[in-house]
Amino acid sequence: MLKKLFNGTLRPEESVLLRKNLTRGFVNFVRYFFLLALSYVVLFQLLYMISYSLRPESDMYNPSVVWIPSEITWHNFDVAIKALNYVDAGLVSLWLGQVSAMIEVFVCAVVAYGFARFEFGGKNFVFFLVLLTIMIPVQMLVVPTYLNYSHFDILGILNQFRQWTGIDLRPNIVDTAWTFYLPSFFGVGVRSGLFIFIYRKFFESLPRELEEAAYVDGAGPMRPFLSVILPSSGVVFLTVTIFSVIWHWNENYMAGMYMVDNKPLAVMLDTFSSAAKNVGGDSRNSRMAACLLFIAPVLVLYMFLQRKFVQSIDRVGIVG
Amino acid sequence: MKKSLKDFSQKKRMYGRMFILPWVIGFIIFFLIPVVQSLIFVFSKVSIGDTNFDTEFVGLANIRYIFFESAKYVDNLYDALISFSYSIPLVVALSLIVGVLLNQKFRGRIVFRSIFFLPVIIATGVVMTYIQGDATAEAMRSGSAEMSTNGIDVTAILQGMHLSKEITNFLVDFVNRIFDLFWDCGVQIVLFISGLQSIPEQLYEVCRVEGANKWEEFWYVTFPMLSGTTILVIVFTAIEVFTDASNTVMRQAYTAMQQQIYDQSAAMLWVYFALVGAILGLVILFLQKAVFSKWAT
Repeated sequence: MLKKLFNGTLRPEESVLLRKNLTRGFVNFVRYFFLLALSYVVLFQLLYMISYSLRPESDMYNPSVVWIPSEITWHNFDVAIKALNYVDAGLVSLWLGQVSAMIEVFVCAVVAYGFARFEFGGKNFVFFLVLLTIMIPVQMLVVPTYLNYSHFDILGILNQFRQWTGIDLRPNIVDTAWTFYLPSFFGVGVRSGLFIFIYRKFFESLPRELEEAAYVDGAGPMRPFLSVILPSSGVVFLTVTIFSVIWHWNENYMAGMYMVDNKPLAVMLDTFSSAAKNVGGDSRNSRMAACLLFIAPVLVLYMFLQRKFVQSIDRVGIVG
Repeated sequence: MKKSLKDFSQKKRMYGRMFILPWVIGFIIFFLIPVVQSLIFVFSKVSIGDTNFDTEFVGLANIRYIFFESAKYVDNLYDALISFSYSIPLVVALSLIVGVLLNQKFRGRIVFRSIFFLPVIIATGVVMTYIQGDATAEAMRSGSAEMSTNGIDVTAILQGMHLSKEITNFLVDFVNRIFDLFWDCGVQIVLFISGLQSIPEQLYEVCRVEGANKWEEFWYVTFPMLSGTTILVIVFTAIEVFTDASNTVMRQAYTAMQQQIYDQSAAMLWVYFALVGAILGLVILFLQKAVFSKWAT
């Protein structure tokens, strides 16, 4: 066809086809070029971490070593595991962060169901407050919250009791898992507002008929939620769970403030440099090894769920 | 019959309140009370004792302090707002482009989607600090910009163009940031893809029948249908940039907090928050009134 083009013997319908093919080729080229360039930005960093964590420190001053280490060493990982206190801190991350994530995933769904399916006075205002909780950063709240946690009290009841009787029953919940469980349990945990938003949009897109049928049969409000909504919301649950798991795993700001003895991995990573000095070497290599060890569990989990997750994004459908 | 219907709707109203009741309690205990307390800090002198904190009302003294006596607050605020003003449009535009590209059908899109979500996992605040700290150190060690992400010595080119120093710095920062900014796009891309998926296919069919090209299709269908998602993404990005630990104001406030100067750090954060909130509110209002509503008719 190109030959004909140069000879000038191209018929009109062929020229239309040629133009179409060329356009498609060009669009494909631009698309792949752009996506590959951006993928490179991400994968470069991952390879960089792997390459640096496997090489001895002496390779840093060896100009012939760019990507492939002169010898493979596990020394950096040894340092990182010791300095991070990897197993213990990892377990703290699990029972502190991941349990809290599971609570959050469920509670936010319940709250969002209330917003999605029922009409009541002040609903819009309350939902505005939900969005407000996403907008105000935790950094602004962390100091008063810390002080409140050290004398935990629900709406001043126990304080009243103390003033009447002189007995202080207010528990100190700093350095306990309650600092994470309680907010999650009440739907104001790590980025809960965003999850309530996502759930609500999804629930609103589900048909109401099945729930109505359950009500006609005389079921209470929890029944339709548990037996109709939950089974048909697998996709949105997967999306929210993945986000919640990752954000809880990475949370180091609040955990650094509230937890003293039981520090999760994210906090240990934050203070890695000084800890590594005590166990035989804070170098770029050991820092990269620590970063890799930190993201490894989430990365592995993501690899297993990635196909499902990528497909589920298609079906969650967030409409403004 | 009529009575039972009324009963039912009343009952449903009660059910609704029941479902959100836990959230309201949580909101008051874990959000409203700390917010009010931190606002009180702004106008008080805070002294922390062993068991409790005492506040003494001092009016606007803290705000006066951070603006007129604090060494760096105004500069930091200025820097933060500047980086804010270009980060958000760039992140939103970049993630919209990537979202649209990944939403099309082509070979390997599952692989690309999986890769593009990786920043959400890798680019946590802490890991990112180590990575970026290292890239800078590396570039300094080798004495060239070899390892830095853009690889071209933009500074020299710009200086050759005899631009003023401020513009040069701004542009260099800008180019360097584009690559860094991609790390902040993970969640936004996911939000855009799922927004794109919810656009009904019929609208595109109408477009094709009417003979619109892809470009028109994007501006007359895709973009207006994404208005809600876009606003969500803008807000989300704003919060990310706003609370980023490497942000100049955040860093100053955090340092003050570590020195237990809670009143001034609260003032720094609230002034910053109020400014950002006001700007963001205006931007969203403008988008809704002037941009998105144009297409609504």
